[in-house]
Amino acid sequence: MGDSREGASLPAAAASDATKRRVSYFYEPCIGDYYYGQGHPMKPHRIRMAHNLIVHYALHRRMEISRPFPAGPADIRRFHSEEYVDFLASVSPDTLSENAFSRHTKRFNVGEDCPVFDGLFGFCQSSAGGSIGAAVKLNRGDSDIAINWAGGLHHAKKSEASGFCYVNDIVLGILELLKVHRRVLYVDIDVHHGDGVEEAFYATDRVMTVSFHKFGDFFPGTGHIKDTGWGPGKNYALNVPLNDGLDDESFRGLFRPIIHKVMEVYQPDAVVLQCGADSLSGDRLGCFNLSVKGHADCLRFLRSFNVPLMVLGGGGYTIRNVARCWCYETAVAVGVEPDNKLPYNEYYEYFGPDYTLHVEPCNMENLNLPKDMEKIRIMLLEQLSKIPHVPSVPFQTTPPTSQVPEEAEEDMDRRPKRRIWNGEDYDSDPDEDVKPRHIEPNSEMRNVVDEMDEDKSNEHPTS
Amino acid sequence: MAGCSILTNGSTLDCVENPWGYQSNDCCLATDNSVKDGVDDSHADDKVKLRCLFDPVLSVFLKEITSTAVIRPFPAMLGDGRSPDLFKLFWLVREGGGFDTVTKKGLWAFVAKESGLDHRVTPSVKLIYYKYLNALETWFKERCRDGRFGSRQYGCDGDFSLLSLELETEFRRLLSDGSGKNKKKDVGLPMESCKSGNYIDMDIGKSAFDFSDTIKAFRKQEDVGKGSSVDDKNIHDDDEKLFNDEGTAHVILDSVIANKEFIFRKRKRESVAGMLNWVIHIAKHPDDPSIGIMLESCKGNNHESKEFLVQAIRAREALLLRRHTNPKAERSPLEKKIKMHPSMYEDGSAPRHHSTERLRSSERLPTLVKCHAYSFCNSCSATQSKLSPCKIELDNGPKDEKPVIDATSTTNTTHGDDSLQKQVRVDSHLQAEVPEWTGVVPESDSKWLGTCVWPLEHEKHNATIEKDPIGRGRPELCGCRLPGSVECVRFHIAEKRMTLKLQLGSAFYHWRFHHMGEEISLRWTAVEEQRFKDMVRSNHWEDAFRRFRGKTRENLVSYYFNVFLVQRRSYQNRVTPNNIDSDDDESEFGSLSGGFGHEAVKVPRFSFLECSDNKQCTDFE
Repeated sequence: MGDSREGASLPAAAASDATKRRVSYFYEPCIGDYYYGQGHPMKPHRIRMAHNLIVHYALHRRMEISRPFPAGPADIRRFHSEEYVDFLASVSPDTLSENAFSRHTKRFNVGEDCPVFDGLFGFCQSSAGGSIGAAVKLNRGDSDIAINWAGGLHHAKKSEASGFCYVNDIVLGILELLKVHRRVLYVDIDVHHGDGVEEAFYATDRVMTVSFHKFGDFFPGTGHIKDTGWGPGKNYALNVPLNDGLDDESFRGLFRPIIHKVMEVYQPDAVVLQCGADSLSGDRLGCFNLSVKGHADCLRFLRSFNVPLMVLGGGGYTIRNVARCWCYETAVAVGVEPDNKLPYNEYYEYFGPDYTLHVEPCNMENLNLPKDMEKIRIMLLEQLSKIPHVPSVPFQTTPPTSQVPEEAEEDMDRRPKRRIWNGEDYDSDPDEDVKPRHIEPNSEMRNVVDEMDEDKSNEHPTS
Repeated sequence: MAGCSILTNGSTLDCVENPWGYQSNDCCLATDNSVKDGVDDSHADDKVKLRCLFDPVLSVFLKEITSTAVIRPFPAMLGDGRSPDLFKLFWLVREGGGFDTVTKKGLWAFVAKESGLDHRVTPSVKLIYYKYLNALETWFKERCRDGRFGSRQYGCDGDFSLLSLELETEFRRLLSDGSGKNKKKDVGLPMESCKSGNYIDMDIGKSAFDFSDTIKAFRKQEDVGKGSSVDDKNIHDDDEKLFNDEGTAHVILDSVIANKEFIFRKRKRESVAGMLNWVIHIAKHPDDPSIGIMLESCKGNNHESKEFLVQAIRAREALLLRRHTNPKAERSPLEKKIKMHPSMYEDGSAPRHHSTERLRSSERLPTLVKCHAYSFCNSCSATQSKLSPCKIELDNGPKDEKPVIDATSTTNTTHGDDSLQKQVRVDSHLQAEVPEWTGVVPESDSKWLGTCVWPLEHEKHNATIEKDPIGRGRPELCGCRLPGSVECVRFHIAEKRMTLKLQLGSAFYHWRFHHMGEEISLRWTAVEEQRFKDMVRSNHWEDAFRRFRGKTRENLVSYYFNVFLVQRRSYQNRVTPNNIDSDDDESEFGSLSGGFGHEAVKVPRFSFLECSDNKQCTDFE
């Protein structure tokens, strides 16, 4: 460690943490009205709750917020098979029993876990449109961080629904990012393995997938530590299998060194973070014991590298905690530390009886023993050491484009700096940031900068 | 025939279920050596296999060896209907020094506890041991004393000779060199691969529990265990080889695997796992002739299995067809496997036993010991379609990576391995098309930027409105008469909404804030609200949704999340704060109507329209 390589992305990141990020956020106002069905744990309403909290915390004033353009069948076919997309686009609960559809339900795995509900395709379109939009925002250099809480549906396969996911917005978003970015890193902190994304990019080194998940007797069953990729993608899939009761400390002890090393050797041009909130303590389907802060620490850490970052939702089945988590993570993205006492909001009662932003993790037993974690960490760092620094892409000239002219002729080392917030040209938040006439707001705002710098310095990956 | 009886008398499933319980126990016992080295890893898994084999072997043993004419029923039952794990029992007592010693030392309660039973059944446990296992123990003791089972003897046995010779050599080496464990596996390898090729045709009658073979195997174990000072693991290592040679071991192992299949659903469901697994097992082994046998013997046995049998037969037919027409596809998972896991093994000792690899991986991850993931792809006819893509992979797949373990390229190993770990499937039909990096950036359609809602472009009015600081929560105190009461909270929410409406301008409506919160109940009449509550209580909304006149489905969903759940949670927060749940649609909520009859919001000084109109939604009745 400590060789000159490290200079490529890291110091710049640490140094630039103090700056704000230009944040784009995609929200489809109708998303909360989609309904998977009675008793189904997946509730799109949670996205509306998160948005509601975000706005009541006034975090929107630090972002540019757009309603996503719904992805059309042709766009979705960039990853998914034609037949499958046609099926999704045309099926409805009323027509499901018709022969034309019913004979496909098995094949496309639509039914129990992935029911056909009213407006299914519209839901998929919004989710995918948001993630593609987020990618385009990053591609154009318009934003440093792009958020789509309706995205992150990581189980969907090319021709198959799975685990409440129908259209893999992540894959679509990454494909969009790959137009401009040579290497994209995908990080998945959902309690379930990010199998759909891993599978989609299993054989390429242009996308590295890293998934932290509960493994063993748990959906979807993939994500063995030795599934490392295939062909040119060998070693570019990383799986971190974890056990019940994972707490903040153990998680951080794995996440930080591994991601640190990944950033160092892979040097992604863009990062996609799937923030599945089912890894939080008390989730209805999950079994980890993370606090909101522990969960958001992943975002905080990735943000500090100052690489274009797409932040997506995912699982999360105790909806009050999902809203808490995604609201807090939005705050981390915009660099604000919100008050713990929730502002009054339409869904205030959901957050009782304490009505706070953070909830204490429970005292469940952490089955991830330190020595196991150490083993895993060593194994994965070893896998990472097999990766050539900056894989397979020669340092050729990056494309001259009208959108991102600076990128041409620029090499990796200078790259991150381009992303530094430049308050002048960004107009989404004119009041607080540029004009001094509103004095009050800034004093009330708690920037999280210091904390992040600290985080960085205690970080020493084992090798 | 013993082999048939395991599969037909219903004990298969028992046999399948217990080992997992056992294994997990075992893992606890063996945690200290769990990560020591690769070989230890096989420990737990071998025990499972051994355990699976134990009951049938014991059954045969009791019939043949003991002179008594008493037939003991299997599985053995305690008074309360549970069946103890006989293998574990045997093992525990043997550890404890045998029946007599355990009795003398009064260790039976401990044995019962360790077997996962409670102390109340201690006498029964002792009795069962005496009836089922004591004979075996005595028999072993005698043989060992006689020295009759020196390893030499095995060489002369007919169809077992190859194995036995191998074992014998290996065994001898083991005895002389305790550290030879690793090499041992390698020796076992060629033997296994040459035999396992015929796995598919493996006939249950031929492969399972031919008496002499079984006893031989058993003696072998016991010999290793007793006659040498080498620890338990060696037994299991040997057993593994024995078992790999026998189709039955695989059948059993696979059903063990099948037992865990239910994880292919994200939501937790376990009720039908047993029968489902049975079907899965059958589907996975369409050529298994035991199905035919079972069909016979299942008659009138158990209608549950009959029902599944029909499905199984169909699946079998389908699969047989597929296999026969497409033998390549059948093989492909193996090749894929080999390509995909060339060598995570740093120790690099060349051709490795396939199942060793698998076991080792589980060992690396102590978290996984009891929880391999299993390929649903290969195990259920419902998802068969995935098999054919595999073939395509075989044909088109890059050839650059040489299979590492050519010697083990047999259906047998494929099978074991593939079912033990759910694979990432590789093939052009599954992966995304990732273009080469060309440096030419295609233009992205600006439609993807969507509709910008914030910041507001042309509305300047918001600048004049006083704003809350970013990230601020609610104030510490409020001047309400009953702080924290429903009225208080409703009042503050309404207040906040008003401010927000002014601040957001058009965005308030863009984001549909006017469709959020309890206020949407303003569009509902009291009668409708009551009907909705009744409907939810009846727990059949799906039908009710259609029958609810005057409201679209969207209205109903919106009402459910914005009003109904808010009120339910509001109740929970104040009445059952230790038991809150926002997520279970089907939970009981009868108490909701129980005496929380708050009246309308009383706001003396402010008279927001929303507040006074909130009457309807304040009513908890």
